[in-house]
Amino acid sequence: MNSLFVRRPGTRALVWALLTSLLVLYGFPFVYLLLTSFKTPLDTIAVPPTVLPHRWTTANYTSALHRGGVVASFVNSLTTATLSTVLSLLIAVPAAYGITRFRTFSGRVFIMGALVARMVPPVAVGIPLLSMIRALGLIDTPTGVAIAHTTVSLPLSIWLMASFFEAVPDELDEAAVVDGCGRLEALWHVVLPVVAGGLAVTAIFAFLASWNEFLFALLLTAVRAQTTPIVIANFQTQFGLDWGAMTALATMYSVPVILLTLILQRHIVAGLTLGAVKG
Amino acid sequence: MRRADDRTFATLLMAPAAVFLGVFVAWPLVRLVIDSFYRISPIAGGPRSFVGLDNYLRALRSSTFTSAAVRTVAYTGLVVSAEFVLGLAAALLFSMLGARSTVFRTVFLYPLMIAPVVAGLLWRFLLIDNFGIVNELLSRAGILSGADAIGWLSNPDIVLLSVAIPDIWLTTSFMTLVIFAGLQNIAADVLEAARIDGAPPASMLLRIILPLLRPVIAVALIVRGIDAAKAFDIILIQTKGGPENASQTLSLLIYQTMIRFSDPGLASAMATMYLVVMLLVATVAVWFIWRPGTAQR
Amino acid sequence: MRIVRQSRTMRSHHWEVLGGAIALVALGLTACGAGGTGGTGAAGSDGAVRVLVEAGGHAELQPVADAFEKETGTKVTFVELPYDGLYDRLSSELSSGAVSFDVAALDAIWLKNFSAGVKPLDDLFTPDARSDLFPALLKEAEVDGSYVGMPVWTNAEILYYRKDLFDDPANKQAFKARYGYDLAPPKTWQQFSDTAQFFTRKGIYGTDVKGAVETEYLATLMQAGAKDMVLSGDGNADIDTPEALKALDFYSGLATRLKVSPAGAAQVDWAAAQNLYNQGKTAMMRFWAHAYTQIPAESPAKGKTGVTVLPAGPAGTAAVPGAWYLSIPKATGNAAGAEKFVEFAFDHNDLGVQTALGLAARKSALQKYQSKPGHENLGALVAALDAPATTPRPANAKWQQIVDTVLVPMLQKSVAPGADNAALLEDAQSKIEALLK
Repeated sequence: MNSLFVRRPGTRALVWALLTSLLVLYGFPFVYLLLTSFKTPLDTIAVPPTVLPHRWTTANYTSALHRGGVVASFVNSLTTATLSTVLSLLIAVPAAYGITRFRTFSGRVFIMGALVARMVPPVAVGIPLLSMIRALGLIDTPTGVAIAHTTVSLPLSIWLMASFFEAVPDELDEAAVVDGCGRLEALWHVVLPVVAGGLAVTAIFAFLASWNEFLFALLLTAVRAQTTPIVIANFQTQFGLDWGAMTALATMYSVPVILLTLILQRHIVAGLTLGAVKG
Repeated sequence: MRRADDRTFATLLMAPAAVFLGVFVAWPLVRLVIDSFYRISPIAGGPRSFVGLDNYLRALRSSTFTSAAVRTVAYTGLVVSAEFVLGLAAALLFSMLGARSTVFRTVFLYPLMIAPVVAGLLWRFLLIDNFGIVNELLSRAGILSGADAIGWLSNPDIVLLSVAIPDIWLTTSFMTLVIFAGLQNIAADVLEAARIDGAPPASMLLRIILPLLRPVIAVALIVRGIDAAKAFDIILIQTKGGPENASQTLSLLIYQTMIRFSDPGLASAMATMYLVVMLLVATVAVWFIWRPGTAQR
Repeated sequence: MRIVRQSRTMRSHHWEVLGGAIALVALGLTACGAGGTGGTGAAGSDGAVRVLVEAGGHAELQPVADAFEKETGTKVTFVELPYDGLYDRLSSELSSGAVSFDVAALDAIWLKNFSAGVKPLDDLFTPDARSDLFPALLKEAEVDGSYVGMPVWTNAEILYYRKDLFDDPANKQAFKARYGYDLAPPKTWQQFSDTAQFFTRKGIYGTDVKGAVETEYLATLMQAGAKDMVLSGDGNADIDTPEALKALDFYSGLATRLKVSPAGAAQVDWAAAQNLYNQGKTAMMRFWAHAYTQIPAESPAKGKTGVTVLPAGPAGTAAVPGAWYLSIPKATGNAAGAEKFVEFAFDHNDLGVQTALGLAARKSALQKYQSKPGHENLGALVAALDAPATTPRPANAKWQQIVDTVLVPMLQKSVAPGADNAALLEDAQSKIEALLK
């Protein structure tokens, strides 16, 4: 198994204790968010604040779900994030492989270029991007938003995948080519399974980047493709903040990504175990 | 596998990504740089006049720009170092526990799943004067003298730290996950050998684990550094850059100048300078800690 | 290589994944999203009127849209956005030259910035229409000689007070003994200061002081008798004045000198102030008129809140109108439908009063309801808007920048202990001059 694995019971107990206290601190804001979603409107921002609701209520969930467009926005978010993840991986995996395996000068330039793309403050390219997406006829469609989101996630995907490919020894795909595989086949059948864990991690981040993105979604969507972060933000208006409903919707909105992480977690473990064989 | 057509094959593999980034990022960037030499009316069809380097000089002469630049450096340093220390610690702890830590790892990922717009407001309510729960709990625990002892978001001297906390909270998981994945790929026999040699844990960490993790750490640090430097949405929600502009970072200033203050030319010049500096810093960082595609094994 | 053979067996599975992925992308290319009613891609292709609106304002316009649809058969589609997001969206779309909406509800302070991108609506401002609008709103709607937005609802700050505390006999007696006059909703700055001090005791404060927003200080400035609101008529900075100092001393003095407000004034914004009052932590609140209908049922202030105009300074009472305007972008493909909707919204302005927010813009609409129970705030709102010193915010393209970079930081410094208000105003004056250069 893992090389850092600790067996001595005393040490293990200490590590568990350390980790638990870290997690309690780390998890508190989220627990607070969750508890707030069950509070009555006046309790949500009580003075002085309380941790537990005085009276538990699910009214916030009902009111969040009854708001127009919430369910549709969930579907839009899911479509957009899935498209963006697939697009990002489809483009990033070959690119990262090309960069790390063949070590050409253009590859080195390219990975720095990808880094520049990551540096760009979204607002600096927002308006030209808006014009381009409109020119492509993709304004207010999940595809248009997914393309915009991919500009954010693609550089990270390339970099992450490159770092995972770096960890795989060249001998592996060389052996595969000797075995009679084409080079694309070697990537597909031999290298990718080894970095499956890395692939899962990259997918999670690409998905999250799109799932929670705000500015492009704001600029590029109107009636048909509005994603949930915009709807969540709409609970804060010029006339007041519906913090209870907002936390309720935010909680519900995090459920799909938790499920995704749980599903991919198995693959992460599987991929990492495969990776360990190479030693 | 160095065949004559390797170069072509590598180029083909990179082509889709190059085309995508070229069309959707590089082209808007070219327009950004061009815009930086113009004074532009914010409404389409309005006047547009070439002003040479005037926008650059205006930016450099304003103390708003220079102090935002200093703040950005401080903010980025703070966020990235805190995330690295916490992320590495968590990843090591997870590794020590092996498969049993799965549940914890999932919990640890949780903040990543919170939309920044919610995270910003959440932390605003955790920290704000009068009804922030953090001060309330600290004062009930006897650590603070009263619930208003620390003005997290209203004291200009500490507000930059306060707006960094949510960013750290949100993305330490990223650091943890990447480092954890890297740790899994360290060959077991290397560590086993060191352990048998009787190397103390600290020297194992510094002399074996960290060097082996270098590529992974490099990616994590560079990516997070870049992201932290361009952070603006969470700060915007928490303080709008205040009080007294004490939490106004460069990307927040660029955003405000571009859209809220309707001065796209000036904002483009600021963004161009920001990008040039970031590129220089990143090149140096990449050069020193990781040379992708050149690593010798 | 064991791995190679192992993974070869997974070959077919792998290709399935890739095939699925490609199919998904292909699907996405044709996907048209889950929301709305469709047909909104091309500008007004089906004659529907698309209205861009701040999320809170949507409720105000929905009854109008329903009536419009019933009467004309034309559909109205709303795009709801958060306040800052709406500005960003408008700014980006007008800057790119193509728009995805036919009508937009604009905050008053945005009119100047967007005036070049929206149509003049002078035809709708008939003498009848003009006589039914508050002078401050008319002045605000007119940018560079033409009316660029039709008022749809307006707000203004009024004074909220806890009737139960003011009516309490023990309080009345103690107040009279201490200040020599009867306890009543304060009519002047002095009375307001006295009352705020009187009610500040354990667990409750007299009022709040808002350091993170500027409009209330602007109203105070007008109450002090300032000739200009920050900028003079010809667009020059005019804030380093004795009146501005008097106003600032009163405004932040409540926090620094009298200490009648909760700590952390620098970050107190509208939401924070409203929450403090609804939680029963402040006895009086200066706030926008709409909050009257928004007090939660379980709040200690529910049913015990009285309203009146803001306390008067040397120049009497004054407020800053917080109006929203319907405007039509020049680039819309459905100008005719848009204009019809804006006109309809003006004609049926009173429909807004019956919504949860209960606001409108026309005098007649507000006056129709002001004596009805549950709408007590409207009387105070009308009085505030009719006050002679009530002035709209200056129409200046740099206004937002002046607010964000000069006025709000100035207020935040001013509410800190030991602030030198005269120096702050002098500094603000020179900063605004530099911005306007």
